[in-house]
Amino acid sequence: MPSTLVRRLLALPPLLLLASVLVFLLPRMAGVDTTREIVRARTDGIEPDPVVAARVAAELGLDRPLPVQYLHWIGGVLTGDLGTSYSTRTPVAAQLAAAIAVSTLLTALALVLAAAVGIPAGVWAARRPGGPLDRAVTGLSVLGVAVPEFILAPLLVLAFAIAVPLLPATGWGSVAQLVLPVVTLASFPAALAAQLTRAETIDALGRPHVAVARSKGLPESRVLWRHGARLALTSVVSLSGMFFAGLLGGSVIVEVVFAVPGLGRLLYDAVISQDLPMLQAGLLAVVAVAALASIAAELLALSLDPVARAGVEA
Amino acid sequence: MKLRVVAGVVIGLLLVAAVLPVDAVTTHLGDRFAGPSPAHWLGTDHLGRDVLVRLVTGTRLSVWFTAVAVLACAVVGTLAGLFAGYLGGAAGQALQRILDLLVAIPTVIIGLIVAAVRQPGLDTLLIAVLVTGWTPLARLAYQLTVRERGREYVEGALALGAGASRITMRHILPNAIRPLTAHACLRFANVLLSLAGLSFLGLGAQPPTPEWGAMLAEGRQFVFVAPRLVIVPAVAVVAVSLFVTLLGRHLDRRWSR
Repeated sequence: MPSTLVRRLLALPPLLLLASVLVFLLPRMAGVDTTREIVRARTDGIEPDPVVAARVAAELGLDRPLPVQYLHWIGGVLTGDLGTSYSTRTPVAAQLAAAIAVSTLLTALALVLAAAVGIPAGVWAARRPGGPLDRAVTGLSVLGVAVPEFILAPLLVLAFAIAVPLLPATGWGSVAQLVLPVVTLASFPAALAAQLTRAETIDALGRPHVAVARSKGLPESRVLWRHGARLALTSVVSLSGMFFAGLLGGSVIVEVVFAVPGLGRLLYDAVISQDLPMLQAGLLAVVAVAALASIAAELLALSLDPVARAGVEA
Repeated sequence: MKLRVVAGVVIGLLLVAAVLPVDAVTTHLGDRFAGPSPAHWLGTDHLGRDVLVRLVTGTRLSVWFTAVAVLACAVVGTLAGLFAGYLGGAAGQALQRILDLLVAIPTVIIGLIVAAVRQPGLDTLLIAVLVTGWTPLARLAYQLTVRERGREYVEGALALGAGASRITMRHILPNAIRPLTAHACLRFANVLLSLAGLSFLGLGAQPPTPEWGAMLAEGRQFVFVAPRLVIVPAVAVVAVSLFVTLLGRHLDRRWSR
């Protein structure tokens, strides 16, 4: 059993515990008067008088000691009760679950698109380093890293929703509405995957096992894909766990621009409306999803890596 | 060296742009959405302000504020990585765990958290970028320090009775500074895009302060009337981010083994 994986899995509960404490404490550490914010949010900014404030605090349990509040909160989280949204006054859990489903679909599609474009592009570029194809792929990938979501999104809207009205500019629910957000979100990981695949494949092509494959008389394309690109695939997959976390961040901007009702949009709205239960639950979800994604990616990478697998069996 | 000249000219232009005494905030409602003309080379925006003037003034925040943020990240990250790497053991483990935790949280999310508990503004931006921005440099500094720690010159210094701070700062840091500089340069683009992205979301620079991300967000509302208001700041952000990325890649190739 590979020890790194065990260590990562063992580190998960303390990590989540620490994250939950930080998430719980953050608004309080910054000195936000929670009660006042709630009253102001519910009354369009009217300052609460002390009597009202005390009653609201008691109603929401905000007058109790912090550890008690934390235990109450985390107990609820563990049993699926994430509290009630300050702004919509409906249970957080249902809204959060719907938002996570939307964002997971968006992120997964973007990752698949990024891999489908980035990995072959990187392998083709590695075939002749310095050649025209390599220059094109490298140039495009540098551009893909340099152009952020918040620029790509308006430009794509300008090009494909306004100049040439092919696709809807915003919204969620139809396949056509998926295209622009997914493409926007995929551009950065695709560029990174292409760069990484290129570097790893060039490296692998100089190694002895590739020389052996060539000397066996295997066709060049088989050497390139089966022996050269193999290790690159492993690194790209293990990196995709990090991509996933990063995409959740990028999805804040994408979801706001394209009006997609996902996790990023939920967090943004929670911040704008000072909706603390929603914000805390959303942040916890981001950390949990990111941690799980990185472990899943590690597992997948392990199953793809012939060297590591041999180590497991030995 | 051709690159050195180009880099010098670009940085000089950006410096001049930052100190140019022009008015970027006064509105002229009679001149709204004026197209490019000799008086306004890039036209005017929805409040009749000159787009070029706002773009040029925007370098103060979009470029130079980024430079300050990157420097802060580099100093914090380098120090943390150096000492944790040199001390090793529990300190090294602690740094690794902190980095593992922070790498899972994107800068935009941190920005949202900080904005939730503070007023949006420049200090909010700086905090948001610092929380995550120091981690890649700390990781690199840590790796470099662990590698250098076993070298003979460190053992020599140790034998001469040098303490931890002297060995890290005087002996290891000079050997690690070039890869760190190259990496900081690569981080510049990342920080620039994070800052502009947060301003785009309305969590950073507040109107009427000119900032490229905020200009882009404002222009997006008038994209049907004047697509220029989106394209101009977009080109500025991409140009600067490309420039520093290519510079960083060049330094990285030359300085990192």
